[in-house]
Amino acid sequence: MRYGRSFVSEPGASPESTASPETAAAPPESTRTGPGRLLVAVYGLFALSACARAVTQIATEFSRAPAAYVLSALAGVVYIIATVTLVNGSRTARRIAVLSCSVELAGVLVVGTWSVIDKASFPDATVWSTYGIGYGFVPLVLPVFGLLWLRRWSGRAKSGRAIASPGAGEAAGDGGDPDRVSAR
Amino acid sequence: MSAVNGVVPTAIIAVGLALAAYALLTTAFNRRVGLGLLIVIGVLEILLLVLVGLIVARLADGGRPAGMALLIGYLIAMPLVPVVAGFWGAMERSRWGPAVYAVAGLAAAILMVRLHEIWAVIRV
Repeated sequence: MRYGRSFVSEPGASPESTASPETAAAPPESTRTGPGRLLVAVYGLFALSACARAVTQIATEFSRAPAAYVLSALAGVVYIIATVTLVNGSRTARRIAVLSCSVELAGVLVVGTWSVIDKASFPDATVWSTYGIGYGFVPLVLPVFGLLWLRRWSGRAKSGRAIASPGAGEAAGDGGDPDRVSAR
Repeated sequence: MSAVNGVVPTAIIAVGLALAAYALLTTAFNRRVGLGLLIVIGVLEILLLVLVGLIVARLADGGRPAGMALLIGYLIAMPLVPVVAGFWGAMERSRWGPAVYAVAGLAAAILMVRLHEIWAVIRV
């Protein structure tokens, strides 16, 4: 991996920045880097929006649709846990993250189906209503990507060695573009 | 006051979508966050702060939306999105940093639509 000029480089912040080409192809050092960077951002956004929605709904009109609002709050909590554990990335955190992603996937499937069949219980939408249609179905896709990302990590932890990165050869052989970075 | 009714939210949608497109291209070309993306996300942040100011002025004028609590939540959360995403994406040394910027740009555009739903005087 090549580290060129960048306005956001952190000199000395990472041992990777002085790594040799062989070790530079190692997978991201944590669940919060590489594709995990994007996952954490999306999870954080959903944590914020689900919680904001739940707090205002519960505070202002709880009696109108208690089931929907409690589920909104539950979704918010699950998103917060997933965000925090993905940022943390320790072995325990990854286990909790797998659990929360699974709860999330189950939640979006169960609540999604429930909201389609029993519309009366959901006069107001939750994040998970109709499989997350109000949020571009991202709530349905997000836990799948989360679990795939975490699975890659558990595999790496078990084998105790780096998984070969598909971008390794490309990074070693590409031209002198200073801003180019290897694929992860 | 009329600016609340269109220009600023429309500009935020335009800049947000432009940021998303630019960021996704940056990811596609396998580059990290650079000066260009930082400038665009900075412009987005300035526009969001201007919008917060316009809405606060409108509230001070006596206007009251139905979902007041949610609106205040938006006023606090909106300007934080580009700042948090900006740092989070800039910390990443791979193509996935710009992807975070794309999420922030799309989120800002969607927030404008939601804002209009909360308080219809804020037009898009």
